[in-house]
Amino acid sequence: MQYQSQAVAKPYFIAALGLFAGQILFGLIMGLQYVMGDFLFPEIPFNVARMVHTNLLIVWLLFGFMGAAYYMVPEESEREIHSPKLALALFWIFLIAGALTIVGYLAVPYATLAKITGNDLLPTMGREFLEQPTITKIGIVIVVLGFLFNITMTVLKGRKTVVSSVMLIGFWGLAIFFLFSFYNPENLVLDKYFWWWVVHLWVEGVWELILGSILAFVLIKVTGVDREVIEKWLYIIIAMTLITGIIGTGHHYYWIGAPEYWQVLGSIFSALEPIPFFMMAVFAFNMVNQRRREHPNKAATLWALGTAVMAFLGAGVWGFLHTLAPVNFYTHGSQITAAHGHMAFYGAYVMIVLCIISYSMPLMRGRAAANPPKAQVVEMWAFWVMTISMVFITLFLTGAGILQIWLQRMGDTPMSFMAGQDQIALFYWLREIAGVGFLIGLITYFISFFVGGEEQAS
Amino acid sequence: MNKVDTISAPHPKGYYPPGDFAIWFFIYAELLAFGVFFVTYAFARTYNVEMFNASQLELNRTAGAINTVLLITSSYFVIRAVAAIREDQQNLCVKWLFAAIFLGGMFLVVKIIEFKAKFAAGISLSTNTFYTFYFSMTVFHFMHVILGMIILGAVMLKARRGGYSSQEHTGVETGASYWHMVDLVWIILFPLVYVIR
Amino acid sequence: MSEMFTKSMARNMFYGGSVFFFLLFLGLTFDTMSVLPERDHRENITPEVARGKMVWEVNNCVGCHSLMGEGAYFAPELANVYNRFGNSKDAIIGFIKSRPVDGIPGRRSMPQFNLSDDDLNAVAEFLKWTSEIDDAGWPPNIQG
Repeated sequence: MQYQSQAVAKPYFIAALGLFAGQILFGLIMGLQYVMGDFLFPEIPFNVARMVHTNLLIVWLLFGFMGAAYYMVPEESEREIHSPKLALALFWIFLIAGALTIVGYLAVPYATLAKITGNDLLPTMGREFLEQPTITKIGIVIVVLGFLFNITMTVLKGRKTVVSSVMLIGFWGLAIFFLFSFYNPENLVLDKYFWWWVVHLWVEGVWELILGSILAFVLIKVTGVDREVIEKWLYIIIAMTLITGIIGTGHHYYWIGAPEYWQVLGSIFSALEPIPFFMMAVFAFNMVNQRRREHPNKAATLWALGTAVMAFLGAGVWGFLHTLAPVNFYTHGSQITAAHGHMAFYGAYVMIVLCIISYSMPLMRGRAAANPPKAQVVEMWAFWVMTISMVFITLFLTGAGILQIWLQRMGDTPMSFMAGQDQIALFYWLREIAGVGFLIGLITYFISFFVGGEEQAS
Repeated sequence: MNKVDTISAPHPKGYYPPGDFAIWFFIYAELLAFGVFFVTYAFARTYNVEMFNASQLELNRTAGAINTVLLITSSYFVIRAVAAIREDQQNLCVKWLFAAIFLGGMFLVVKIIEFKAKFAAGISLSTNTFYTFYFSMTVFHFMHVILGMIILGAVMLKARRGGYSSQEHTGVETGASYWHMVDLVWIILFPLVYVIR
Repeated sequence: MSEMFTKSMARNMFYGGSVFFFLLFLGLTFDTMSVLPERDHRENITPEVARGKMVWEVNNCVGCHSLMGEGAYFAPELANVYNRFGNSKDAIIGFIKSRPVDGIPGRRSMPQFNLSDDDLNAVAEFLKWTSEIDDAGWPPNIQG
């Protein structure tokens, strides 16, 4: 660790991993509810478990992104963080606000939560992924603005690199597009149209800038390839991301009341969305092949390559599978969407956060360059178990989705939703087993932090 | 070395394609986007040939033809500009670039007149599938012409400050490559959407 | 290959391309906004429909159901539930009202939300209005 203040990333990463574990537990609960409908009913109905599952994901990824920024920006800017105290204060505010929100979801009925948090004054709750009480949303804005101030000041005062500017643009975009979560018109079509300005322009837009900059940072460190080369690639990849992804928003506008020309525009541009992910995979492998040093942290390199491949598979291939309007007409709102969502989020965002944690945690824990080889072996086992489990979750959900569409949406005598669900229960059981596999991988991952042994010299 | 040799001589750095390679990522991506547009158009047309043909007849083919001539000519001017800078004739290069940008501007004027007539007739993106394609592709291309003019404009300003020479003129080639792409797309777009039935 | 292009050109592509496509997106959004009134029938958004949307939101219905295909996939699609239930608001109201408090053994069940009569009517009005949005003929059939 070159700068003292980089250490503020540590609590962010620890919190992220803790919340990650919570997310997986609630995922398993939901998976069981798919096949045992009365599991934990009415104490934790499905909608509550899902809200906890998805909101924990968003919050822990944000913790991970912010931690990554606090770790990376000092090294990039070659100076200490503007205010480490502010970073730590914001950490506690965010953690407590997040925890209170989750407790609120679990402790009282959602309608009661809406009432006591004054949703009437500015109704923003009850929309997918934006279920947080309005006051929590305001809290998120305050935390992110404080974070942006801190990081922007650090970047402005220090060395300006492409990695830190791209990351900064990503975070500013994240903050700006989140403001659309406060717009909740009575007209459902307008509501949905601009809801995607938060959701799509986050995950298929500005978040990819953050992903790209973290990946570039780790690759510079572990491969020793000239920064100039990596930064050029970064620019080209994120340019392609936004060129395809912005109009690609149209693939969400096919069936929500928007004009039908979106079927043409959305299909064409989102069909090109795999290109930047493909380039990212080529880029990552190229850089590792051209490496100028053998970095002792093999696990971090594995995560970097893994995220590029899995993001391409999950976001690129599985996204393309159902993005063309004539196909999407049948697959929209089915388990196919769930399959894509799981692998894309894991591949693109979970793995990149685990990648930067894998690279930086050993340094923040006072190790020379990497964890002891034994610990790395355990971590790499965890990598494979989690990744393979996620591949199976995706495959089983895809199978469930294909059958669901076949039974419920095609043929002369389509089944009702619930009748169809009973028919595909086997796939949900298999998915749940794969989910348990993922939990085992996660536990292995946690164990890897406590494996000792001889340190390798850097 | 005589004049002809200089013009046809390989690029001093000897690489291909010309210009900065980054622009070729952009050009390939754009060609891919337009290519997918063209293929989708062809597919959509087979589902409703009559409607496509009927709507196609409403288009202003004269305006389209004029625009084709304008863009091809401006592409030629850009070629002259590249040839000029290879001979270190900076002033000439600037003049050819200006002429190319001017023709680009003429293209925009003709196109705006065409669009205005369509809007006045109450035709929009949502009128029918043909017009969804017509407006998507022509407006998308229209914006590319603007972007191409901005790029050529930036190149022209740099050339006027003497920023290029026969030794180093990657920027001119980069701008020229992009402009040819804009031209090429129109050369396919015009017959496909306006003429072929 | 990487020597063949410069960082400044790659940077210009990123900024130029992003601005270009974002402007295009804004233009398309502008056009969409002018077309939407014919498709969403906003003249039919009565105070009941607006209240129904609130009821829909504060009970987190989207946490199990999908609406025009968006939401969770644990429970049936509701954009066409009005049609599926025989174009009847009463059928919708009756279904929501009759959910058992303790669920159904071994099976998925909708919670009992104890909605007031006004709220029940409002949410049914909201679902009726939603069923009339021109969403390009989705879902493929009545089962959603």
